[in-house]
Amino acid sequence: MRERAGSTAAAVALTVLAVAVVVVPLVELGRVVPAGGSAALTRVLHSPGFGSAAAHSGELAVLVPAVAVPVGTGLALVLRRPDVPCRGLLRLLIVLPLLVPQFVLGYSWSQAYGRGGFSQQLLGAHWAGLNGAVGVVVVLVVDAVPLCFLISSAALAVRAQPQLEQAARVSGAGWWACTRTVTLPMLRPVLAAEVVITAVAALESFAVPQVLGTPAGYQTMTTRVYADLALGSDPALFTDAVVLSLALVVLVALVVLPSDVLLAPRLRTAPAPSPAGPAGPSRRGPPGMLVACVIGAYCVVVALVPTAAIVLAAVTRAVGRAPTPSNWTLDNFRAALDAPTRAAIGHSLELAALAALILTVLGVSAAALGRRGWGRLLGTVVIAPFAIPGSALAVGLLIAYDRRIGGTLALILLAYLAKFWALAHRTLSGAVDRVPPDESRAAHTSGAGPLATARTIWLPALTPALVGAGLLVFVSALHEVTMSSLLYSTGNETLAVAVLNSQELGEVPTTAALSVVLTAMLLVAAVPAWLAMVLARRRRAASQPVWSAVEVADAR
Amino acid sequence: MPGEPPAVECRELSVNYGRTPALEAVTLTVARGELVAVLGASGSGKSTLLHAIAGLVPPARGEVWLSGRCVATRQRCDPAERRDIGLVFQNIALWPHLTALDTVAYPLRRARHSRRDSNAQAQQLLERLGIGHLADRRPGELSGGQQQRVGLARALARSPVAFLLDEPTAHLDTHLRAAFQASVRDRRAETGAAALYATHDASEALALADRVAVLVDGRMVQVGVPELVYAEPVSAAAAELTGAFTVVTATVAAAGPAQVSVDLGSGPMIVAGGGLRLGPDPVVARVLLRPDWVVVPGEVPGRVVVSAFRGAHTDYQFETDIGAVHAQLPGPPRLAVGAPVTWGFARAWVLPVEAARRAEPIRLTPAR
Repeated sequence: MRERAGSTAAAVALTVLAVAVVVVPLVELGRVVPAGGSAALTRVLHSPGFGSAAAHSGELAVLVPAVAVPVGTGLALVLRRPDVPCRGLLRLLIVLPLLVPQFVLGYSWSQAYGRGGFSQQLLGAHWAGLNGAVGVVVVLVVDAVPLCFLISSAALAVRAQPQLEQAARVSGAGWWACTRTVTLPMLRPVLAAEVVITAVAALESFAVPQVLGTPAGYQTMTTRVYADLALGSDPALFTDAVVLSLALVVLVALVVLPSDVLLAPRLRTAPAPSPAGPAGPSRRGPPGMLVACVIGAYCVVVALVPTAAIVLAAVTRAVGRAPTPSNWTLDNFRAALDAPTRAAIGHSLELAALAALILTVLGVSAAALGRRGWGRLLGTVVIAPFAIPGSALAVGLLIAYDRRIGGTLALILLAYLAKFWALAHRTLSGAVDRVPPDESRAAHTSGAGPLATARTIWLPALTPALVGAGLLVFVSALHEVTMSSLLYSTGNETLAVAVLNSQELGEVPTTAALSVVLTAMLLVAAVPAWLAMVLARRRRAASQPVWSAVEVADAR
Repeated sequence: MPGEPPAVECRELSVNYGRTPALEAVTLTVARGELVAVLGASGSGKSTLLHAIAGLVPPARGEVWLSGRCVATRQRCDPAERRDIGLVFQNIALWPHLTALDTVAYPLRRARHSRRDSNAQAQQLLERLGIGHLADRRPGELSGGQQQRVGLARALARSPVAFLLDEPTAHLDTHLRAAFQASVRDRRAETGAAALYATHDASEALALADRVAVLVDGRMVQVGVPELVYAEPVSAAAAELTGAFTVVTATVAAAGPAQVSVDLGSGPMIVAGGGLRLGPDPVVARVLLRPDWVVVPGEVPGRVVVSAFRGAHTDYQFETDIGAVHAQLPGPPRLAVGAPVTWGFARAWVLPVEAARRAEPIRLTPAR
């Protein structure tokens, strides 16, 4: 009975916390508008800036998925072909931009292809359209492609059963006909989910439009919220920000809710993975070498050149000098890493580590409550903020808690907890679900109490997920700039905010140096995560019974 | 028809998965209109052989010929879509997003038939297999037997030179199995196409096939008519695939045409049978006895230790001085467990010496 009382207490505590960080900000956001009067609402809705910002956000939400989903899925499809050389390296290069914060990605593109950038120094040409609608769309697509690639690759491994494709080929379908009539239709629900995810990400995106769009006067709803709040304490501007935030929530809800209702059941019924590899030795289509070259060129243009450009900008003595070894220096790093910035790095690490620790504990507790009744409700509440745009969540938290903890790091921490709880929850509840219930029953019947079962059965099974969830939250918190930039106060910056501010001041070498530092910190966090994943996979492969290899061979 | 090229021909065909050999130098010819059963344990390379003929795996060595055309060598391998074959998959492999009609029309559409024409032909095929009324259903709405018939119709739709059936009845109940086998027989009689039928089920292979090809560990150890493969297996491993048996050690010698002299220690007995490379001089060898060759009463003493009633016949196990012996006698049980018995045999098959030695450990391990 003591156990029951403990779990009830945990459920109550978790619910109170979830309500405080998720429900209260949204309610407050909704309450401000009627308080400001319908006149303010009409004024904001009819102001010329609002219409264009909404239109720009809308066009991003349409154009980014329209390009990113086909590109990501196309890459996943061709990289399944065994005749493409260097597949492992190409996969890594495609996924690598996931580690680069959106802000750094946008800034590195402007350093690579913008006015006075790398391409101008090297070839005497720059891309005039980079600052503006086209540039924002292109860089957001580049940012979204790795995720689409990962989701499509995983779906191809699980859903596209090799036998179904073999059946098509034996029925006379070539590579393209097979892809069109069998492979892609099997992926349909996953592709739809990708469209929703990338559309929401585009609506939410702040850093890329801020870096590439704002200088050219291209405003989206998120950059306008930032501009409204950055310009000081004008109550009219604050109302404007609140209305924009609410409109953003409504827009996202319009995308997410119907698709969730339509898609969720179809995504849940994933067929059992099949052990064999992809079908067919001699696929038709372009030769593997050509495919590898095209993908390689894509990786060079979208990832390697911008990375090189920002690294060179960071080590070059001054803007305008040629980025040759004679002009290299580490002075930019020394100058950039002054006392306030070092403090900002400390804040970032502190916040990210705290968020990772707290959310790992909360995630396990919530997962332990199970999937029925209260646990399920709690799951829905903590997942929701992931679809709520960061700008709106930040404005809501500002209204709800500014008077008590405004301007402190605690407010930013609260924002991180709200936003990233979903990441920890999804990862950990998934891992908990995968542990067969019979394993703990077997431990109980072998005489293990609740604690011994937790230590001997659950902990070993959940360790990779715990590490993974913690690192996921840590990396996302280091990335975060949308909410941080709205909630920080002087002396309480995070590193990402410091980079944003230095970019707005136009300090190219400092910004570049800080971007490199920020990305390097992420790499340091990501390498152990990657290693842990590889080790876990290897261990799983080694523990498979020998006869399964025979079965696989025969099934093929 | 003499002079006509065989429908399927494998010449010294070898397939590797990575460094693991899956098929080694398999040579097999299937004539037009012939049904060859590929009999083997799981993991013996049955699916690999079918997939190599279909073009789903490339050969490491050797060649595949279809209707007198070379479709696969080590250097050049026509993809599956360019080969004129129909494949029925072990796990059926119906596309979840297509209806039965669309599934059967699929190969016709790929062959650039018009949609109306394809649908009409597909409907006709479904009608002939007795599932015309299920044309609008997706795989999720069909039973196992119905799904397998849709899979068969899809393979038939291409009117191929050869059908490849990969354990098509493995997931079917016994009564559906018979129905499916009947529809394979009927359709093949209609089209006159060749067929390769992979199975691990001896009764299915012996009943359906014109010839049986026995695969052991990726090697084709014996090909012949079902009666031959049953009565004169080349090794204990091959014998095991076609049914139960007992191996006893005896002094043997050829005793005339299709007759063999077997001495179990109590004097020679002349029975029907023979052996590979068996001469008139007596040698000690291992002798294979099928349960249905055992007769009661006979000259050899023993004791009944197991009796199992199977309906049409009864299986016994006798304990004797030369080891345990399996016997199958018609009718209900008439020998009590524990009772003494005398037995003999109407037929015996002498295993080749080296094959017997090599095969012994396989006989003692139960089938995987």
